[in-house]
Amino acid sequence: MSPSIWNRITVLRVERGLSRQQLAEALQINYQTVGYLERGDYNPSLELAFKISEFFGLPIEAIFARSPFAPMSSQLYRKEESA
Amino acid sequence: MTENLKELAAEMKRRGIPPRYFAAQLRRGVPAEDIIAAWPIPTYLDRVGSRRSRRRLVAVVYGGWVLVAILSKLLTPPDSIFPVVPVAPLASTLGALILLSRRTFLSREVLAGDSGLDERLVQNRNLAFRTAFQIFAPVALVAWLLSAVTMQVQSGDQGMATAFVIYSGAGLLGTTLPAAIWAWREPDPVDPDAETA
Repeated sequence: MSPSIWNRITVLRVERGLSRQQLAEALQINYQTVGYLERGDYNPSLELAFKISEFFGLPIEAIFARSPFAPMSSQLYRKEESA
Repeated sequence: MTENLKELAAEMKRRGIPPRYFAAQLRRGVPAEDIIAAWPIPTYLDRVGSRRSRRRLVAVVYGGWVLVAILSKLLTPPDSIFPVVPVAPLASTLGALILLSRRTFLSREVLAGDSGLDERLVQNRNLAFRTAFQIFAPVALVAWLLSAVTMQVQSGDQGMATAFVIYSGAGLLGTTLPAAIWAWREPDPVDPDAETA
């Protein structure tokens, strides 16, 4: 079953060099829940989504979407080409 | 100094503190004593185990109980209820003890209040209790009817012995089903220190 909401939590976490445990501590959730969120097996509540967005310092729509995200690298290159 | 470092390494190993986590906390300015104090020494019962091992244990407990019940019933003489009366509740208690141990069913999570759980765990706990009720309610009803019929149909103490076994089984289910469902469903623990998916 494909997820109904896609997210970039794994990319953002790895980008910042954080372990699941560290992210879980920062968000005050169980580290298994981080795994669930990353795999798209669990959709967070609005409150948790806001917590995640505040933690990464990004708007919610940059982390969660109703359709699959394009790879960040391709988005970045496209931006550079159009600039 | 070297001795201190050796002691520290041993303490970290004993408590299961990941070195990378320890170093990161130190960099954040958390004193070593505070980091260590935040990690209680894990006991054997704290280990949740893989889902496969938990499922196997659930199957062994319930399957073992059925086997014990059948054997005790077969060994019961027609005019006595002696083997059933001590064996059935003993098997039920043993089964409950195994399933209610932390290793099998994460009792802290299943019995914890909402404040001790995150939102996913609250949902999982509620789902485990709901599913347990959905299973237990019809089973209890059937068990009650069956035991009533058995006491009427079977002669002498045999009816009483069969009813006793049925009640013990229902009792075991009623006390352990949420735990068993949780143990069955919770996935394998992931590496908390994994930096990659």
